[in-house]
Amino acid sequence: MKTPNDSPIKLLFLAPLVIWIGVMFLAPLLFLLWVGFWHIEAYRAVPGFSLTNYAEIFSSFFTGSRYGWALLQSLWVAGTTAILATAFAYATALALAFAVPPRLQRAALLFAIVPFWSSYVLRLYAWQTILSGNGVINSLLKQAGLSWKFEVIYTQIATRIGLVHYLAPILIVILYVSVLSIDRVLIEAARELGCTRWQVFTRLIFPLSRFGLLTAGSFAVIVSLGDALSGNLLGGGAGQSILGKLPTYASMIMSDYSSATNLPRTSALATILIVVMVAALVAGVALATAARRKVSQ
Amino acid sequence: MSQLAPQTAPVPDLELVQVSKMFGDFLAVDTVDLSVAPGEFVAIMGPSGCGKTTLLRILAGLESVTYGQVKIRGRDVSAVPVNRRTTRLVWQNYALFPHLDVAGNIAFGLTLGRHDKAAVAGKVAQMGALVGLDDFMTRPIGQLSGGQKQRVALARALVTEPDILLLDEPLSALDAHLRIRMQAELRRIQQQLGMAFIYVTHNQHEAFSMADRVAVMNRGRIEQLDTPEVLYATPKTEFVARFVGSNNILPGTLAGYDGDVAVVTCAHGPVRVADAQGLAAGTRVVVAIAAEKLRRGLRAGDNTVPAVMRGREFAGSHNVFLMDLADGTEIKVVSHDGAIPDYGAEERLCFAPEDASLIRGAK
Amino acid sequence: MKRNAWIGLGRLWLGLAYAFMFLPLVVLILFSLQANRFPGFPLQGWTLQWYARLFDDGTLIAALGHTMIVSPAAASVATIIAFLAGYALNRFTFPGKTALLGLVTLPIIIPPLILGVGFLGLLARIHLSGTLLAVFLTHVVLITAPALAIIQLRLSQMPKALEEAAWDLGASEWQAVRRVVLPFALPGILGAWLLAFTFSFDEFIIAWFVSGFDQTLPVAIYSVLVAAIDPSLNAIGTIVFAMSCAVLIALEVLLIPYLIRKPDA
Repeated sequence: MKTPNDSPIKLLFLAPLVIWIGVMFLAPLLFLLWVGFWHIEAYRAVPGFSLTNYAEIFSSFFTGSRYGWALLQSLWVAGTTAILATAFAYATALALAFAVPPRLQRAALLFAIVPFWSSYVLRLYAWQTILSGNGVINSLLKQAGLSWKFEVIYTQIATRIGLVHYLAPILIVILYVSVLSIDRVLIEAARELGCTRWQVFTRLIFPLSRFGLLTAGSFAVIVSLGDALSGNLLGGGAGQSILGKLPTYASMIMSDYSSATNLPRTSALATILIVVMVAALVAGVALATAARRKVSQ
Repeated sequence: MSQLAPQTAPVPDLELVQVSKMFGDFLAVDTVDLSVAPGEFVAIMGPSGCGKTTLLRILAGLESVTYGQVKIRGRDVSAVPVNRRTTRLVWQNYALFPHLDVAGNIAFGLTLGRHDKAAVAGKVAQMGALVGLDDFMTRPIGQLSGGQKQRVALARALVTEPDILLLDEPLSALDAHLRIRMQAELRRIQQQLGMAFIYVTHNQHEAFSMADRVAVMNRGRIEQLDTPEVLYATPKTEFVARFVGSNNILPGTLAGYDGDVAVVTCAHGPVRVADAQGLAAGTRVVVAIAAEKLRRGLRAGDNTVPAVMRGREFAGSHNVFLMDLADGTEIKVVSHDGAIPDYGAEERLCFAPEDASLIRGAK
Repeated sequence: MKRNAWIGLGRLWLGLAYAFMFLPLVVLILFSLQANRFPGFPLQGWTLQWYARLFDDGTLIAALGHTMIVSPAAASVATIIAFLAGYALNRFTFPGKTALLGLVTLPIIIPPLILGVGFLGLLARIHLSGTLLAVFLTHVVLITAPALAIIQLRLSQMPKALEEAAWDLGASEWQAVRRVVLPFALPGILGAWLLAFTFSFDEFIIAWFVSGFDQTLPVAIYSVLVAAIDPSLNAIGTIVFAMSCAVLIALEVLLIPYLIRKPDA
C-alpha cells in the first residue's frame, strides 16, 4: 500500500527547487571555477585549461597588483567589523530583552530594525554625506565654532561604520531571539541562589547566548568579506587602515572586472575568495567544536 | 458433519487477520487478530508505546500493514489509501482546521467531491444538533473550549457516515468532570447511530464504562479481549492483571491442586486459589487479588498474608492502604471502616480463595 | 536603586542605538527637502526641487520601474518554489534530504559577489547577460533560501494530524494541500514573499554584474553616486523609504508574530 511518504507530489514539489538551484546556482558556481582556468586571447576569453591567471595573480600577490594585501585587508576589516557589529547588536538585543517592558518589546525591536528596509546603497550614500569632509558632522562642528574635523571618510573606519549599520538589524534579530529563548525561570533561580545581576549575565546569559553570538559573528564575517559597496563608497576604494591604504578584496574584484573585463582572471580571484572562506569556515567550526569540548569536560 | 450448518453469522464490521507492522526492526504491531461485530463498541487499552495508536492508524489507512489483512464489512481494504477508506478518525488533539469555523470543519468531508450545497448545509446542521453545537456553528475554532472542539471533531467525522469510527484518546485533553459527561454522550451517540466504534485509550475507566469489549494490548499484541466484567474478574495474563483494576499480584510456584483449589507457594507461605486450569505442579504463577477483596478481619477458610503498613491515601468514602509483604511486594488494600493502622504496624490481610485468580506467570 | 541603574543603562544604550540606526534615514529625508547642494549645515530652506529634478531626469525613476518589475516577479517565483519545496521537505523523508537542506542554504553563505561573477560568465555564454531577465533569474535563486526558511518555519508549526485529518475525511493529496496546508501556511507565504521582495529590491552586486543598460534601482543609484553627490538621491531615498515603510507595516502584521514567538506561547 502507498504510505504517506510515497507520493508523486514528493518529486513534483521538489523538482522546481532542485532544478533552479542546479541550473542557476551550482552551474554558475562550477562555471566560475572552470572559467578561472581559461585565458584571454585577442580580448576574448578562450576556454581551456591554463594556470595563466593563477600564475599572474600569485606572481605579484604581495607586490605589484597586491591581491594578497587586499585579502589581508579584507580579513582584518571583516574580522573587526564582525566583532564590533556583534557587540553592538548583542548590547542592543540585551537592552531590548531586559530593559523594555514585555508588551513594548515587539514594537521596540521592529523600530530598531527599520533601517533594514531602506536601500543599502542609499544608506551608504547617506553615511557619505554625514561623514564627508564638509558633510553633516563636520559642518555642525564648524557651526559650533570648532576647528577640529572628524575625518574618517575614505578610511576603513568608515567602511566598518557602513557595514555595522547594514549588519546590525539582522544581527539584532538573531541575538534577540537567542536571548529571548533563555528561560526566565533560570534567571530567577540564579538570582535566588545569590547571583548579582552582573553574575547572572556572566554565568548564565552569556554562556547561553554563545551559540547565537557565534551564528551572528560568522554571518557578519561572511557578509563583510563579500561586500564591496561599503569599501567603495565609504572606504573610497582603497581606504586607510593600520595595514595601509589598501582596497578590500571584494572591492578589488569589482574594480578588476570593470577596468579590465578579464573574466577569467576575475573568476580566478573569486575562486581564491571561495577557498579562503571555506578555510575560514572550517577553522571556525574546528574552533567551535574545541570550545564545546572544553565546556563539556 | 453431524451438526446442522450454523446460521451465517453477520459479516463483522471490522476484521483483522494476523496484522503486523514493522518500523525498521521494531515490531510495533504483532500478529493481531480482531473481529468487531456490527455496531459494537470496542476499546483498545494499553500503556503508551504498546502499539494501540499504530493499530488505529493502520485501520484508518495512515499506516500500511507489513503483514496481514484489514477487512471492513468483509472487503479487504489493506491496499486502499486513507482517503478512500470508510473509516473516520477522531484525533487526540482534535486536528481541527484552524482557518475554518465550526460549520466549515463539519462540512469539510462533504465538500470534497461534487455536492449539493443545500444538502450539505442540512446534514451539517443536523449533525451539529446531534452533538449539541447548534449555537456555535459560525464560531472560529480558536474560540471553542476543549469539550466543544471535541464535539466538532466528532461531528466532522460522523457527518460523512463512516462504516466505523476510530477514536484516538479523544477525551485525554479534557478535565475529569467533562470526561465523564463526554463518555456518556459518546456512548449515547454510538448507540443512536448503531455504528461500530474503535476506541483507543490508556485509561481503563473510560474503556470499562463505554465499551462492549475491551482489548488489552502489550508490546504490539492483544493479550486479552473480553467484556469489561470478565476482564476485570479473570485476567488471563500477568500483564493484564497488573494493568487492569487495582489488582494485587503475589508471585509464587504452584504446589498442586486440592480439588478445584490450587495451592500456591508464595514468599510468606501457601495461598489457596479457586482454579480450574489444571496447571502442572511447579509452574511459575501469580495470584491476583483485587484491592477491595483484601480484608483485615479473619474468616474461616480464608488465606492470610502478613503485611506491614507503609502509607495511606484518603479517597473520601474509603481509605487505600499501601502495605509491604515480607518479600517487599507492595499491596493495596481498600478499607471502608475508619480504623487506620499505625505506620510500621504489622497487619494480617485475608482473602477468600474464590476472590483471587491464578495466572500462569510471564516467561 | 541597583535595579534601576541597569535598566536605565539599558535604555540609554537603546537610545544611542536608535540614534545610530536612524541617523542616515533622518539625514536622507531632511536633505531631500532642503535647498543645500551639499548636505550639511546651515540649512538653506525647504524645497521640493530635488523631487522635481528626479522626475524630470527620469533615470532613477526608470530604474525604480525596472526594479518594480524584477523584484515582485522574482519574489513570486521564489515564493512558489519555496512553498512547494518547503511542503515536500516538511512532509517527506528521502535519501539526501540533509544534503539538499545544506545545498539550499549555500546561496546565503556564498557571497553575492562570487555568484555575480559566476552568473556573468554563464549568462554571457547563453547570451542572456545584460538583460532584466538575467537579474530576475539570478535573484530568484538568491531569495529562495530566505523564503524557504520562513515557509519551513511556518509549516513546522502545522501539526501533522491536520493534513492526515483531511485525508482521513476523504481529501486527495492535492485537495489537502489546497484546502488545509495552503490556508495554514498563508501568513508564512506572505511573509516569505515580502522578505524575498525586500532582498531582491535591495540587491546590488549581482545586478551590477549581470544587468546592462536596463539598470535596477540600486545599480542606477550607484552609478549616479560614483559620479557626483546629487541631492536627487535624497529624494529617491525618501521615496524608497516611504515604500519600505508600507512593506514594513505589512511585515509587522504578518511576519513578526511567527518569527519571534516564545516557545511556550
